[in-house]
Amino acid sequence: MREKVKKVLEENYPEIDFESSTELVDDGILDSLTMVGIISALSMEFGVVLPYEDIIPENFNSIDAMVELIQKFS
Amino acid sequence: MSYNSLTFILFFAVYLVIYLCMPRVWLRQGVILVGSLVFYRYAGRLTPLAILLLTSMIVYAASLRIAKIYDGYEVEKEGLSAKEQAVLFAGYKKKSRKYLWAALALILGILIYTKAGRLLHWTEAGKLSELFQWKAYIVPLGISYYTFSSVGYLLDIYWKKAKCERNYFSLLACMSYFPHIVQGPISRYDKVLKQFHTLPGFSYERVCFGLQRMLWGYFKKMVVSDRIALVTSNVFSAPSEYAGVEILIFVILGAVELYADFSGCMDIVIGAAQTMGVTLEENFKRPFFSKSAAEFWRRWHMTLGVWFKDYIYMPIAMNPKFMKLAVSVRKKSGNKAGQIFSAAIPLGVVWILTGLWHGTGADYVVWGCYWGTLIILETVLAPEMKKWTQKLRIDTTTFGYRLFQMIRTFLLFCIGRMITVTGSLEGFALMLTGLFREHRLWVLFDGSLYLHGLDQKNFAVVFFGILLMWGVDIMQEKMKIRESLGRQPIVLRWFVYYGVIAFLLIFGMYGSAYDSGAFLYDAF
Repeated sequence: MREKVKKVLEENYPEIDFESSTELVDDGILDSLTMVGIISALSMEFGVVLPYEDIIPENFNSIDAMVELIQKFS
Repeated sequence: MSYNSLTFILFFAVYLVIYLCMPRVWLRQGVILVGSLVFYRYAGRLTPLAILLLTSMIVYAASLRIAKIYDGYEVEKEGLSAKEQAVLFAGYKKKSRKYLWAALALILGILIYTKAGRLLHWTEAGKLSELFQWKAYIVPLGISYYTFSSVGYLLDIYWKKAKCERNYFSLLACMSYFPHIVQGPISRYDKVLKQFHTLPGFSYERVCFGLQRMLWGYFKKMVVSDRIALVTSNVFSAPSEYAGVEILIFVILGAVELYADFSGCMDIVIGAAQTMGVTLEENFKRPFFSKSAAEFWRRWHMTLGVWFKDYIYMPIAMNPKFMKLAVSVRKKSGNKAGQIFSAAIPLGVVWILTGLWHGTGADYVVWGCYWGTLIILETVLAPEMKKWTQKLRIDTTTFGYRLFQMIRTFLLFCIGRMITVTGSLEGFALMLTGLFREHRLWVLFDGSLYLHGLDQKNFAVVFFGILLMWGVDIMQEKMKIRESLGRQPIVLRWFVYYGVIAFLLIFGMYGSAYDSGAFLYDAF
Protein backbone atom coordinates (compact mmCIF):
# COMPACT_ATOMS: atom_id res chain seq x y z
CA MET A 1 0.00 0.00 0.00
CA ARG A 2 2.78 2.44 0.95
CA GLU A 3 4.57 1.99 -2.40
CA LYS A 4 1.33 2.46 -4.30
CA VAL A 5 0.54 5.71 -2.44
CA LYS A 6 4.08 6.95 -3.05
CA LYS A 7 3.80 6.15 -6.77
CA VAL A 8 0.51 8.08 -7.09
CA LEU A 9 2.00 11.09 -5.27
CA GLU A 10 5.16 11.12 -7.39
CA GLU A 11 3.25 10.73 -10.65
CA ASN A 12 1.06 13.73 -9.85
CA TYR A 13 3.67 15.92 -8.17
CA PRO A 14 7.13 14.90 -9.46
CA GLU A 15 8.60 18.21 -8.22
CA ILE A 16 7.87 17.38 -4.55
CA ASP A 17 10.09 15.11 -2.47
CA PHE A 18 7.49 13.41 -0.26
CA GLU A 19 10.14 11.61 1.79
CA SER A 20 11.93 14.82 2.71
CA SER A 21 9.78 15.60 5.73
CA THR A 22 7.26 14.18 8.17
CA GLU A 23 5.73 17.65 8.51
CA LEU A 24 4.83 18.17 4.84
CA VAL A 25 1.89 20.47 5.55
CA ASP A 26 3.32 22.21 8.62
CA ASP A 27 6.61 22.86 6.79
CA GLY A 28 4.70 24.49 3.91
CA ILE A 29 5.78 21.84 1.35
CA LEU A 30 2.13 20.99 0.68
CA ASP A 31 -0.24 23.94 0.32
CA SER A 32 -4.02 23.72 0.10
CA LEU A 33 -3.97 23.55 -3.72
CA THR A 34 -1.62 20.57 -3.66
CA MET A 35 -3.60 18.90 -0.89
CA VAL A 36 -6.77 19.09 -2.97
CA GLY A 37 -4.93 17.51 -5.91
CA ILE A 38 -3.52 14.75 -3.69
CA ILE A 39 -6.89 13.94 -2.14
CA SER A 40 -8.48 13.84 -5.57
CA ALA A 41 -5.75 11.51 -6.93
CA LEU A 42 -5.82 9.18 -3.91
CA SER A 43 -9.64 9.03 -3.91
CA MET A 44 -9.60 8.05 -7.58
CA GLU A 45 -6.85 5.47 -7.20
CA PHE A 46 -8.16 3.75 -4.07
CA GLY A 47 -11.88 4.41 -4.50
CA VAL A 48 -12.27 5.98 -1.06
CA VAL A 49 -14.36 8.95 0.04
CA LEU A 50 -12.49 10.92 2.69
CA PRO A 51 -14.85 12.79 5.04
CA TYR A 52 -14.13 16.51 5.33
CA GLU A 53 -13.62 16.27 9.10
CA ASP A 54 -10.56 14.06 8.42
CA ILE A 55 -8.97 16.57 6.04
CA ILE A 56 -6.59 17.94 8.66
CA PRO A 57 -2.83 18.64 8.35
CA GLU A 58 -1.90 15.70 10.63
CA ASN A 59 -3.32 13.26 8.08
CA PHE A 60 -1.19 14.65 5.23
CA ASN A 61 2.09 15.44 6.96
CA SER A 62 3.81 12.28 5.65
CA ILE A 63 3.30 9.34 3.29
CA ASP A 64 2.71 7.10 6.31
CA ALA A 65 -0.03 9.40 7.64
CA MET A 66 -1.74 9.33 4.21
CA VAL A 67 -1.48 5.52 4.05
CA GLU A 68 -3.05 5.28 7.51
CA LEU A 69 -5.89 7.58 6.44
CA ILE A 70 -6.66 5.55 3.30
CA GLN A 71 -6.53 2.28 5.23
CA LYS A 72 -8.98 3.73 7.73
CA PHE A 73 -11.62 4.27 5.05
CA SER A 74 -10.95 1.41 2.59
CA MET B 1 -13.54 54.84 20.70
CA SER B 2 -10.92 54.09 18.07
CA TYR B 3 -7.82 52.17 19.17
CA ASN B 4 -5.68 55.25 18.53
CA SER B 5 -7.86 57.69 20.46
CA LEU B 6 -6.93 59.11 23.85
CA THR B 7 -10.23 57.71 25.19
CA PHE B 8 -9.11 54.19 24.29
CA ILE B 9 -5.67 54.65 25.82
CA LEU B 10 -7.26 55.86 29.09
CA PHE B 11 -9.86 53.05 28.96
CA PHE B 12 -7.14 50.45 28.38
CA ALA B 13 -4.90 51.78 31.17
CA VAL B 14 -7.73 51.59 33.73
CA TYR B 15 -8.92 48.23 32.37
CA LEU B 16 -5.44 46.69 32.49
CA VAL B 17 -4.79 47.77 36.08
CA ILE B 18 -8.13 46.25 37.18
CA TYR B 19 -7.52 43.09 35.11
CA LEU B 20 -4.03 42.49 36.46
CA CYS B 21 -5.24 42.93 40.06
CA MET B 22 -7.71 40.05 39.73
CA PRO B 23 -6.47 37.03 41.68
CA ARG B 24 -8.63 34.31 40.03
CA VAL B 25 -9.23 33.12 36.45
CA TRP B 26 -13.01 33.54 36.68
CA LEU B 27 -12.55 37.13 37.90
CA ARG B 28 -10.22 37.89 34.97
CA GLN B 29 -12.82 36.37 32.62
CA GLY B 30 -15.44 38.62 34.21
CA VAL B 31 -13.28 41.72 33.69
CA ILE B 32 -12.77 40.75 30.02
CA LEU B 33 -16.54 40.39 29.52
CA VAL B 34 -17.50 43.63 31.28
CA GLY B 35 -14.57 45.55 29.72
CA SER B 36 -15.41 44.31 26.22
CA LEU B 37 -19.10 45.19 26.55
CA VAL B 38 -18.22 48.66 27.90
CA PHE B 39 -15.79 49.13 24.99
CA TYR B 40 -18.41 47.99 22.46
CA ARG B 41 -21.09 50.18 24.04
CA TYR B 42 -18.94 53.30 23.70
CA ALA B 43 -17.27 52.34 20.44
CA GLY B 44 -20.59 51.80 18.72
CA ARG B 45 -24.09 52.53 19.96
CA LEU B 46 -26.59 50.68 22.12
CA THR B 47 -28.44 49.11 19.18
CA PRO B 48 -25.42 47.31 17.70
CA LEU B 49 -24.77 45.85 21.18
CA ALA B 50 -28.29 44.37 21.05
CA ILE B 51 -27.47 42.82 17.64
CA LEU B 52 -24.19 41.41 18.95
CA LEU B 53 -26.05 39.87 21.90
CA LEU B 54 -28.65 38.39 19.54
CA THR B 55 -25.94 36.86 17.34
CA SER B 56 -24.15 35.42 20.37
CA MET B 57 -27.38 33.79 21.58
CA ILE B 58 -28.02 32.23 18.16
CA VAL B 59 -24.45 30.88 18.00
CA TYR B 60 -24.61 29.60 21.56
CA ALA B 61 -27.98 27.87 21.15
CA ALA B 62 -27.07 26.21 17.83
CA SER B 63 -23.59 25.09 18.92
CA LEU B 64 -24.95 23.62 22.16
CA ARG B 65 -27.72 21.78 20.30
CA ILE B 66 -25.25 20.27 17.82
CA ALA B 67 -22.88 19.29 20.65
CA LYS B 68 -25.73 17.58 22.53
CA ILE B 69 -26.67 15.59 19.42
CA TYR B 70 -23.03 14.51 19.04
CA ASP B 71 -22.97 13.33 22.68
CA GLY B 72 -25.09 10.41 21.43
CA TYR B 73 -22.51 9.62 18.75
CA GLU B 74 -19.72 9.47 21.35
CA VAL B 75 -21.64 6.78 23.23
CA GLU B 76 -22.63 4.77 20.14
CA LYS B 77 -19.25 4.77 18.36
CA GLU B 78 -17.54 2.57 20.97
CA GLY B 79 -16.33 -0.72 19.48
CA LEU B 80 -16.99 0.28 15.85
CA SER B 81 -14.35 0.33 13.09
CA ALA B 82 -13.22 3.66 11.61
CA LYS B 83 -15.38 3.12 8.53
CA GLU B 84 -18.44 2.23 10.63
CA GLN B 85 -17.79 5.27 12.81
CA ALA B 86 -17.70 7.45 9.68
CA VAL B 87 -21.08 6.08 8.54
CA LEU B 88 -22.54 6.56 12.03
CA PHE B 89 -21.17 10.11 12.23
CA ALA B 90 -22.67 10.96 8.83
CA GLY B 91 -26.09 10.08 10.32
CA TYR B 92 -25.50 12.35 13.32
CA LYS B 93 -24.33 15.14 11.06
CA LYS B 94 -27.60 14.84 9.15
CA LYS B 95 -29.56 15.19 12.41
CA SER B 96 -27.68 18.33 13.42
CA ARG B 97 -27.67 19.93 9.97
CA LYS B 98 -30.95 21.82 10.39
CA TYR B 99 -29.63 23.64 13.47
CA LEU B 100 -26.43 24.55 11.66
CA TRP B 101 -28.26 25.87 8.60
CA ALA B 102 -30.78 27.82 10.69
CA ALA B 103 -28.01 29.52 12.69
CA LEU B 104 -25.92 30.25 9.58
CA ALA B 105 -28.95 31.68 7.75
CA LEU B 106 -29.75 33.98 10.68
CA ILE B 107 -26.26 35.34 11.36
CA LEU B 108 -25.29 35.62 7.69
CA GLY B 109 -28.73 37.13 7.02
CA ILE B 110 -27.93 39.97 9.46
CA LEU B 111 -24.55 40.53 7.76
CA ILE B 112 -26.02 40.50 4.24
CA TYR B 113 -28.83 42.85 5.34
CA THR B 114 -26.36 45.43 6.64
CA LYS B 115 -24.17 45.15 3.53
CA ALA B 116 -27.20 45.42 1.23
CA GLY B 117 -28.50 48.44 3.15
CA ARG B 118 -25.23 50.26 2.63
CA LEU B 119 -25.06 49.26 -1.05
CA LEU B 120 -28.64 50.41 -1.73
CA HIS B 121 -28.13 53.67 0.18
CA TRP B 122 -30.89 53.01 2.70
CA THR B 123 -31.23 55.16 5.83
CA GLU B 124 -28.80 54.25 8.57
CA ALA B 125 -30.79 53.76 11.78
CA GLY B 126 -29.56 55.38 14.99
CA LYS B 127 -31.86 53.50 17.35
CA LEU B 128 -33.41 50.04 17.44
CA SER B 129 -36.90 51.51 16.85
CA GLU B 130 -35.71 53.22 13.65
CA LEU B 131 -34.51 49.86 12.31
CA PHE B 132 -38.10 48.73 11.75
CA GLN B 133 -38.80 51.59 9.36
CA TRP B 134 -38.92 50.95 5.62
CA LYS B 135 -35.46 50.74 4.04
CA ALA B 136 -33.49 51.30 7.24
CA TYR B 137 -30.32 49.48 8.16
CA ILE B 138 -27.65 49.46 10.81
CA VAL B 139 -23.98 48.49 10.80
CA PRO B 140 -22.87 46.97 14.11
CA LEU B 141 -19.18 47.53 14.81
CA GLY B 142 -17.01 44.64 13.59
CA ILE B 143 -19.98 42.68 12.19
CA SER B 144 -17.95 41.09 9.38
CA TYR B 145 -15.27 39.92 11.80
CA TYR B 146 -17.47 38.43 14.50
CA THR B 147 -19.85 36.93 11.94
CA PHE B 148 -16.99 35.18 10.12
CA SER B 149 -15.52 33.90 13.38
CA SER B 150 -18.98 32.68 14.45
CA VAL B 151 -19.54 30.88 11.14
CA GLY B 152 -16.13 29.20 11.53
CA TYR B 153 -16.90 28.21 15.12
CA LEU B 154 -20.27 26.66 14.17
CA LEU B 155 -18.78 24.77 11.21
CA ASP B 156 -15.87 23.50 13.31
CA ILE B 157 -18.32 22.13 15.86
CA TYR B 158 -20.42 20.60 13.08
CA TRP B 159 -17.29 18.92 11.62
CA LYS B 160 -16.17 17.99 15.13
CA LYS B 161 -12.98 19.95 14.74
CA ALA B 162 -13.65 22.16 17.78
CA LYS B 163 -15.05 21.76 21.27
CA CYS B 164 -18.34 23.47 22.08
CA GLU B 165 -18.34 26.16 24.79
CA ARG B 166 -21.14 25.36 27.22
CA ASN B 167 -20.95 28.58 29.24
CA TYR B 168 -22.81 31.41 27.47
CA PHE B 169 -20.89 34.18 29.22
CA SER B 170 -17.52 32.73 28.16
CA LEU B 171 -18.71 32.61 24.55
CA LEU B 172 -20.02 36.17 24.78
CA ALA B 173 -16.71 37.34 26.28
CA CYS B 174 -14.87 35.67 23.40
CA MET B 175 -17.16 37.13 20.71
CA SER B 176 -17.08 40.65 22.13
CA TYR B 177 -13.38 40.53 23.18
CA PHE B 178 -12.35 44.10 22.43
CA PRO B 179 -8.90 43.44 20.93
CA HIS B 180 -10.32 41.40 18.03
CA ILE B 181 -13.88 42.60 17.46
CA VAL B 182 -13.24 45.83 15.51
CA GLN B 183 -10.72 44.84 12.83
CA GLY B 184 -9.86 41.25 13.57
CA PRO B 185 -7.77 39.15 13.48
CA ILE B 186 -10.58 36.75 12.55
CA SER B 187 -10.03 34.48 15.52
CA ARG B 188 -10.90 30.84 15.87
CA TYR B 189 -13.13 31.07 18.92
CA ASP B 190 -12.19 27.61 20.19
CA LYS B 191 -8.53 28.64 20.40
CA VAL B 192 -9.34 31.89 22.24
CA LEU B 193 -11.82 30.15 24.55
CA LYS B 194 -9.20 27.56 25.48
CA GLN B 195 -6.95 30.43 26.60
CA PHE B 196 -9.80 32.14 28.47
CA HIS B 197 -10.11 29.04 30.68
CA THR B 198 -6.49 29.33 31.84
CA LEU B 199 -5.89 33.10 31.88
CA PRO B 200 -2.52 33.57 33.61
CA GLY B 201 -1.79 36.08 36.37
CA PHE B 202 0.53 39.08 36.17
CA SER B 203 3.86 38.62 34.38
CA TYR B 204 6.21 41.62 34.06
CA GLU B 205 7.83 40.29 30.89
CA ARG B 206 4.53 39.54 29.17
CA VAL B 207 3.00 42.93 29.99
CA CYS B 208 6.20 44.67 28.81
CA PHE B 209 6.22 42.72 25.53
CA GLY B 210 2.55 43.53 24.97
CA LEU B 211 3.03 47.24 25.62
CA GLN B 212 6.12 47.33 23.37
CA ARG B 213 4.14 45.79 20.54
CA MET B 214 1.33 48.31 21.06
CA LEU B 215 3.87 51.14 20.95
CA TRP B 216 5.24 49.87 17.64
CA GLY B 217 1.70 49.69 16.27
CA TYR B 218 1.03 53.29 17.29
CA PHE B 219 4.27 54.31 15.57
CA LYS B 220 3.21 52.66 12.30
CA LYS B 221 -0.27 54.14 12.46
CA MET B 222 0.36 57.66 13.78
CA VAL B 223 3.78 58.45 12.36
CA VAL B 224 3.68 56.67 8.99
CA SER B 225 0.13 55.81 7.92
CA ASP B 226 -1.70 58.92 9.10
CA ARG B 227 1.03 61.14 7.69
CA ILE B 228 0.85 59.49 4.25
CA ALA B 229 -2.95 59.82 4.40
CA LEU B 230 -2.53 63.61 4.28
CA VAL B 231 -1.45 63.35 0.65
CA THR B 232 -3.14 60.16 -0.58
CA SER B 233 -6.60 61.35 0.49
CA ASN B 234 -6.13 64.38 -1.80
CA VAL B 235 -4.66 62.44 -4.72
CA PHE B 236 -7.10 59.52 -4.75
CA SER B 237 -10.14 61.82 -4.57
CA ALA B 238 -9.03 63.69 -7.74
CA PRO B 239 -7.00 61.20 -9.80
CA SER B 240 -7.43 63.11 -13.10
CA GLU B 241 -5.19 65.93 -11.79
CA TYR B 242 -2.14 63.70 -11.47
CA ALA B 243 0.02 61.82 -13.97
CA GLY B 244 3.16 59.77 -14.55
CA VAL B 245 5.68 59.61 -11.77
CA GLU B 246 3.31 61.48 -9.40
CA ILE B 247 0.77 58.64 -9.60
CA LEU B 248 3.51 56.04 -9.27
CA ILE B 249 4.87 57.66 -6.08
CA PHE B 250 1.44 58.19 -4.50
CA VAL B 251 0.23 54.67 -5.34
CA ILE B 252 3.38 53.20 -3.74
CA LEU B 253 2.86 55.46 -0.72
CA GLY B 254 -0.80 54.37 -0.63
CA ALA B 255 0.27 50.72 -0.49
CA VAL B 256 2.66 51.48 2.40
CA GLU B 257 -0.09 53.52 4.10
CA LEU B 258 -2.47 50.55 4.01
CA TYR B 259 0.19 48.19 5.36
CA ALA B 260 1.25 50.57 8.15
CA ASP B 261 -2.39 51.22 9.05
CA PHE B 262 -3.67 47.65 9.11
CA SER B 263 -0.55 45.93 10.45
CA GLY B 264 -0.13 48.79 12.96
CA CYS B 265 -3.65 48.14 14.21
CA MET B 266 -2.84 44.42 14.49
CA ASP B 267 0.27 45.25 16.54
CA ILE B 268 -1.88 47.34 18.89
CA VAL B 269 -4.57 44.69 19.41
CA ILE B 270 -2.26 41.67 19.52
CA GLY B 271 -0.07 43.57 22.00
CA ALA B 272 -3.14 44.51 24.09
CA ALA B 273 -4.24 40.86 24.19
CA GLN B 274 -0.69 39.80 25.10
CA THR B 275 -0.73 41.97 28.23
CA MET B 276 -3.70 39.85 29.35
CA GLY B 277 -1.96 36.58 28.53
CA VAL B 278 -4.04 35.92 25.40
CA THR B 279 -2.28 35.08 22.14
CA LEU B 280 -4.28 36.23 19.12
CA GLU B 281 -3.45 34.89 15.68
CA GLU B 282 -1.00 36.88 13.57
CA ASN B 283 -2.50 38.69 10.59
CA PHE B 284 0.69 39.83 8.81
CA LYS B 285 4.01 38.17 8.13
CA ARG B 286 6.04 40.78 6.26
CA PRO B 287 3.92 40.55 3.08
CA PHE B 288 6.10 42.82 0.96
CA PHE B 289 8.82 40.16 1.02
CA SER B 290 6.50 37.76 -0.88
CA LYS B 291 7.75 36.33 -4.14
CA SER B 292 4.36 35.47 -5.64
CA ALA B 293 0.71 36.53 -5.44
CA ALA B 294 -0.25 33.32 -3.62
CA GLU B 295 2.54 33.82 -1.08
CA PHE B 296 1.48 37.45 -0.65
CA TRP B 297 -2.00 36.36 0.40
CA ARG B 298 -0.52 33.84 2.81
CA ARG B 299 1.27 36.77 4.49
CA TRP B 300 -1.30 39.60 4.20
CA HIS B 301 -4.55 39.52 6.21
CA MET B 302 -3.66 35.93 6.98
CA THR B 303 -6.69 35.10 9.13
CA LEU B 304 -9.07 36.11 6.31
CA GLY B 305 -7.13 33.92 3.87
CA VAL B 306 -7.19 30.96 6.26
CA TRP B 307 -10.91 31.50 6.88
CA PHE B 308 -11.67 31.38 3.15
CA LYS B 309 -9.41 28.36 2.72
CA ASP B 310 -10.97 26.38 5.58
CA TYR B 311 -14.63 27.31 5.15
CA ILE B 312 -15.06 27.99 1.42
CA TYR B 313 -12.18 26.62 -0.66
CA MET B 314 -11.69 23.23 1.00
CA PRO B 315 -15.41 22.41 1.50
CA ILE B 316 -16.03 23.11 -2.22
CA ALA B 317 -12.92 21.22 -3.36
CA MET B 318 -13.69 18.29 -1.04
CA ASN B 319 -17.40 18.13 -1.83
CA PRO B 320 -18.08 14.55 -3.08
CA LYS B 321 -20.04 15.82 -6.13
CA PHE B 322 -17.27 18.25 -7.06
CA MET B 323 -14.65 15.54 -6.51
CA LYS B 324 -16.53 13.21 -8.87
CA LEU B 325 -16.58 15.96 -11.47
CA ALA B 326 -12.84 16.60 -10.98
CA VAL B 327 -12.12 12.87 -11.30
CA SER B 328 -14.06 12.68 -14.57
CA VAL B 329 -12.12 15.71 -15.90
CA ARG B 330 -8.91 13.97 -14.81
CA LYS B 331 -9.89 10.74 -16.59
CA LYS B 332 -10.93 12.51 -19.80
CA SER B 333 -8.26 15.20 -20.05
CA GLY B 334 -5.35 13.96 -17.97
CA ASN B 335 -3.85 14.63 -14.55
CA LYS B 336 -2.81 18.20 -15.28
CA ALA B 337 -6.27 19.27 -16.45
CA GLY B 338 -7.80 17.58 -13.41
CA GLN B 339 -5.45 19.43 -11.07
CA ILE B 340 -6.22 22.76 -12.72
CA PHE B 341 -9.96 22.12 -12.60
CA SER B 342 -9.89 21.14 -8.89
CA ALA B 343 -7.93 24.28 -8.04
CA ALA B 344 -9.42 26.90 -10.34
CA ILE B 345 -13.16 26.52 -9.63
CA PRO B 346 -12.97 26.83 -5.81
CA LEU B 347 -10.31 29.56 -6.13
CA GLY B 348 -12.59 31.56 -8.44
CA VAL B 349 -15.44 31.36 -5.91
CA VAL B 350 -13.11 32.31 -3.04
CA TRP B 351 -11.79 35.40 -4.81
CA ILE B 352 -15.18 36.72 -5.90
CA LEU B 353 -16.35 36.35 -2.28
CA THR B 354 -13.14 37.95 -0.97
CA GLY B 355 -13.82 40.91 -3.26
CA LEU B 356 -17.41 41.17 -2.00
CA TRP B 357 -16.19 40.96 1.62
CA HIS B 358 -14.03 44.02 1.05
CA GLY B 359 -16.79 45.99 -0.65
CA THR B 360 -19.99 45.53 -2.61
CA GLY B 361 -19.17 47.79 -5.57
CA ALA B 362 -18.18 46.62 -9.06
CA ASP B 363 -14.58 47.73 -8.36
CA TYR B 364 -14.32 45.13 -5.59
CA VAL B 365 -15.68 42.38 -7.85
CA VAL B 366 -13.02 43.33 -10.43
CA TRP B 367 -10.41 43.41 -7.64
CA GLY B 368 -11.41 39.89 -6.56
CA CYS B 369 -11.29 38.62 -10.15
CA TYR B 370 -7.87 40.30 -10.60
CA TRP B 371 -6.30 38.44 -7.66
CA GLY B 372 -8.13 35.19 -8.44
CA THR B 373 -6.87 35.25 -12.03
CA LEU B 374 -3.30 36.03 -10.93
CA ILE B 375 -3.22 33.16 -8.44
CA ILE B 376 -4.83 30.66 -10.83
CA LEU B 377 -2.40 31.65 -13.60
CA GLU B 378 0.54 31.35 -11.22
CA THR B 379 -0.57 27.83 -10.28
CA VAL B 380 -1.27 26.73 -13.85
CA LEU B 381 1.84 28.26 -15.38
CA ALA B 382 4.28 27.26 -12.60
CA PRO B 383 5.73 24.22 -14.47
CA GLU B 384 6.10 26.24 -17.71
CA MET B 385 7.80 29.07 -15.81
CA LYS B 386 10.20 26.55 -14.32
CA LYS B 387 10.99 25.17 -17.81
CA TRP B 388 11.56 28.68 -19.22
CA THR B 389 13.85 29.78 -16.41
CA GLN B 390 15.89 26.59 -16.95
CA LYS B 391 16.01 27.13 -20.72
CA LEU B 392 17.10 30.75 -20.28
CA ARG B 393 19.60 29.61 -17.63
CA ILE B 394 18.22 31.96 -14.99
CA ASP B 395 19.45 31.09 -11.54
CA THR B 396 16.30 31.42 -9.43
CA THR B 397 18.20 30.97 -6.19
CA THR B 398 20.12 34.26 -6.38
CA PHE B 399 19.26 37.29 -4.26
CA GLY B 400 18.80 39.34 -7.44
CA TYR B 401 16.09 37.02 -8.77
CA ARG B 402 14.33 36.91 -5.41
CA LEU B 403 14.42 40.71 -5.26
CA PHE B 404 12.93 40.86 -8.76
CA GLN B 405 10.12 38.54 -7.62
CA MET B 406 9.45 40.70 -4.53
CA ILE B 407 9.32 43.94 -6.55
CA ARG B 408 7.03 42.27 -9.11
CA THR B 409 4.66 41.12 -6.35
CA PHE B 410 4.68 44.56 -4.73
CA LEU B 411 3.81 46.21 -8.05
CA LEU B 412 1.00 43.70 -8.61
CA PHE B 413 -0.30 44.67 -5.17
CA CYS B 414 -0.10 48.37 -6.13
CA ILE B 415 -2.16 47.72 -9.29
CA GLY B 416 -4.71 45.85 -7.18
CA ARG B 417 -4.85 48.77 -4.78
CA MET B 418 -5.43 51.18 -7.70
CA ILE B 419 -8.58 49.26 -8.67
CA THR B 420 -10.41 50.16 -5.47
CA VAL B 421 -8.64 53.14 -3.97
CA THR B 422 -10.59 55.85 -5.80
CA GLY B 423 -13.94 54.18 -5.07
CA SER B 424 -14.93 53.52 -8.68
CA LEU B 425 -13.78 51.79 -11.84
CA GLU B 426 -13.78 55.17 -13.63
CA GLY B 427 -11.28 56.42 -11.07
CA PHE B 428 -9.14 53.34 -11.65
CA ALA B 429 -9.21 53.93 -15.41
CA LEU B 430 -8.22 57.58 -14.86
CA MET B 431 -5.27 56.57 -12.71
CA LEU B 432 -4.13 53.84 -15.06
CA THR B 433 -4.25 56.08 -18.14
CA GLY B 434 -2.76 58.97 -16.15
CA LEU B 435 0.22 56.79 -15.34
CA PHE B 436 1.19 56.76 -19.04
CA ARG B 437 -0.30 60.12 -20.15
CA GLU B 438 2.83 62.15 -19.31
CA HIS B 439 5.90 61.39 -17.23
CA ARG B 440 6.06 64.60 -15.10
CA LEU B 441 9.58 63.76 -14.02
CA TRP B 442 10.19 67.42 -13.12
CA VAL B 443 8.08 67.04 -9.93
CA LEU B 444 11.05 65.19 -8.46
CA PHE B 445 13.24 68.30 -8.76
CA ASP B 446 11.10 71.46 -8.74
CA GLY B 447 9.44 70.94 -5.34
CA SER B 448 5.90 70.59 -6.72
CA LEU B 449 5.69 67.05 -5.27
CA TYR B 450 5.42 68.68 -1.85
CA LEU B 451 2.35 70.78 -2.70
CA HIS B 452 -0.31 68.07 -2.42
CA GLY B 453 -0.62 67.79 1.37
CA LEU B 454 2.78 66.52 2.45
CA ASP B 455 5.61 69.05 2.64
CA GLN B 456 9.30 68.21 2.36
CA LYS B 457 9.80 67.78 6.13
CA ASN B 458 6.86 65.39 6.37
CA PHE B 459 8.10 63.49 3.34
CA ALA B 460 11.42 63.06 5.19
CA VAL B 461 9.62 61.76 8.30
CA VAL B 462 7.65 59.29 6.15
CA PHE B 463 10.84 58.19 4.43
CA PHE B 464 12.56 57.63 7.77
CA GLY B 465 9.50 55.78 9.12
CA ILE B 466 9.40 53.49 6.08
CA LEU B 467 13.13 52.77 6.42
CA LEU B 468 12.64 51.90 10.08
CA MET B 469 9.66 49.63 9.31
CA TRP B 470 11.62 47.98 6.53
CA GLY B 471 14.64 47.47 8.78
CA VAL B 472 12.49 45.94 11.52
CA ASP B 473 10.80 43.65 8.96
CA ILE B 474 14.19 42.46 7.67
CA MET B 475 15.37 41.80 11.22
CA GLN B 476 12.13 39.94 12.03
CA GLU B 477 12.80 37.56 9.14
CA LYS B 478 15.93 36.45 11.01
CA MET B 479 15.33 37.00 14.72
CA LYS B 480 12.86 37.77 17.50
CA ILE B 481 13.50 41.47 18.06
CA ARG B 482 11.71 42.00 21.38
CA GLU B 483 13.39 38.98 22.96
CA SER B 484 16.80 40.18 21.73
CA LEU B 485 16.11 43.69 22.99
CA GLY B 486 15.05 42.23 26.34
CA ARG B 487 18.52 40.69 26.72
CA GLN B 488 20.27 44.06 26.28
CA PRO B 489 21.47 46.21 29.23
CA ILE B 490 18.70 48.20 30.92
CA VAL B 491 20.15 51.56 29.78
CA LEU B 492 20.01 50.56 26.10
CA ARG B 493 16.50 49.08 26.45
CA TRP B 494 15.04 52.20 28.03
CA PHE B 495 16.88 54.39 25.54
CA VAL B 496 15.04 52.55 22.75
CA TYR B 497 11.64 52.71 24.53
CA TYR B 498 11.96 56.41 25.33
CA GLY B 499 13.25 57.04 21.81
CA VAL B 500 10.13 55.48 20.23
CA ILE B 501 7.82 57.29 22.69
CA ALA B 502 9.57 60.60 22.02
CA PHE B 503 9.40 60.01 18.26
CA LEU B 504 5.70 59.22 18.57
CA LEU B 505 5.02 62.35 20.62
CA ILE B 506 7.02 64.61 18.31
CA PHE B 507 6.09 63.15 14.94
CA GLY B 508 2.80 61.32 15.64
CA MET B 509 -0.34 62.71 14.02
CA TYR B 510 -2.69 63.82 16.81
CA GLY B 511 -4.06 66.97 18.40
CA SER B 512 -7.34 68.86 18.07
CA ALA B 513 -7.44 68.75 14.25
CA TYR B 514 -6.62 65.07 14.07
CA ASP B 515 -9.36 62.55 13.25
CA SER B 516 -8.50 59.41 15.21
CA GLY B 517 -11.59 57.55 14.07
CA ALA B 518 -10.30 56.13 10.86
CA PHE B 519 -8.47 52.84 10.67
CA LEU B 520 -8.84 51.71 7.06
CA TYR B 521 -10.15 48.26 7.94
CA ASP B 522 -12.66 49.17 10.67
CA ALA B 523 -15.59 49.72 8.31
CA PHE B 524 -16.27 46.01 7.69
